[in-house]
Amino acid sequence: MSEVKLVVQRFDPFTDAKPRLAEYSVPKREGMTVLDALLYARDYIDHSIAVRFSCRQASCGSCGMKINGRPRLACYTQVDELKSEKVLTQPMDNFAIVKDLVTDLDSFFAKHRQMMPYVIRSDVQEVENPTREYLMKPDELERVLQFTYCIKCGLCTSSCPTVAMDTKFPGPQALAQAYRYTMDERDEGGEKRLEMLDDAHGVWRCHFAGSCSFVCPKGVDPALGIQLLRRHVLSGKAPRNAGEGAKLVSPAAPEQKPPS
Amino acid sequence: MKESRLMLIQYATAVVAVALVSVHLIMQGVIYPYSTAISFSNILSIYRNGFYAIFLEALLVVVLVHGFNGLRIILHEIRQTKPWTMWVDIGTVVAIVATVAYGTRTVILAVFGGVAG
Repeated sequence: MSEVKLVVQRFDPFTDAKPRLAEYSVPKREGMTVLDALLYARDYIDHSIAVRFSCRQASCGSCGMKINGRPRLACYTQVDELKSEKVLTQPMDNFAIVKDLVTDLDSFFAKHRQMMPYVIRSDVQEVENPTREYLMKPDELERVLQFTYCIKCGLCTSSCPTVAMDTKFPGPQALAQAYRYTMDERDEGGEKRLEMLDDAHGVWRCHFAGSCSFVCPKGVDPALGIQLLRRHVLSGKAPRNAGEGAKLVSPAAPEQKPPS
Repeated sequence: MKESRLMLIQYATAVVAVALVSVHLIMQGVIYPYSTAISFSNILSIYRNGFYAIFLEALLVVVLVHGFNGLRIILHEIRQTKPWTMWVDIGTVVAIVATVAYGTRTVILAVFGGVAG
């Protein structure tokens, strides 16, 4: 059976002065992912390797890490596709290290929350005691659909050169979500978001390197969202408030008549 | 001023600067041979052409606003504290006003004869 040389960057901020690389020989099998290799190393070679994972199917975004220098999901990257004798795994850049490959995503989620990533409505009564359904037309959904695929893995933020420099910059994930909710026809909070982003450390600090879109495992294009968001920040108007909004509330469903 | 307005100025000055610098380079490198283009008497005669003096003043303002605003953006990325942001903004305005004033002084002196031909 062939083997793969798995190199893991080890670092415990409580005990280590600097990171070191540890190498493990892992038996390779067809279809083996980098996460499989890591879990083999952890289960059979060194129990102290710290790695975060959950779904193993690129849905939860827990196992984001740098694999051979590029931010990827370990569960979504097969060892064979790397075409390399060694597989180097390192924690994501732009995040504090908790231990080994596990990074602290607190600041990432704080920036996500800051974007108010939910539909904001003024009809509070209707929201709390809904009588009708808020509808979206297919083309309205299409406008935001790709951004709803974000699994918040942090790979885009890890690859962003502006995040590396500017700690106040929200990052591609948060900005893409700001765009997603601002463009949602049901939302009425777009102008609040646009005003918040019109800041010295806001949407304008993106240099359009495009690395966020390049590394996204779900095919989301945050760089596109940021550029489109800028257009609305310039005008200060969210689409719905600009009068482009579609009819938001569907008529109440007609009561069904019993069959005669 | 809102960041969006500053960035709009940045983009507008970039476009205008490309146009003005292109005309400037054509004037200096194509219409006049480069060796004579930078001779003192030639430069003075260019300044004393009213149209070209206005052109040079516009070039001065556009390039300095674009350059210093760009520098402001870079400096904002280096540190994110409030005092740093405030002093960078103030420094940018002072730098633009000072350099535009000094450049305008040169244009005015050349146009109105403060510099002997």
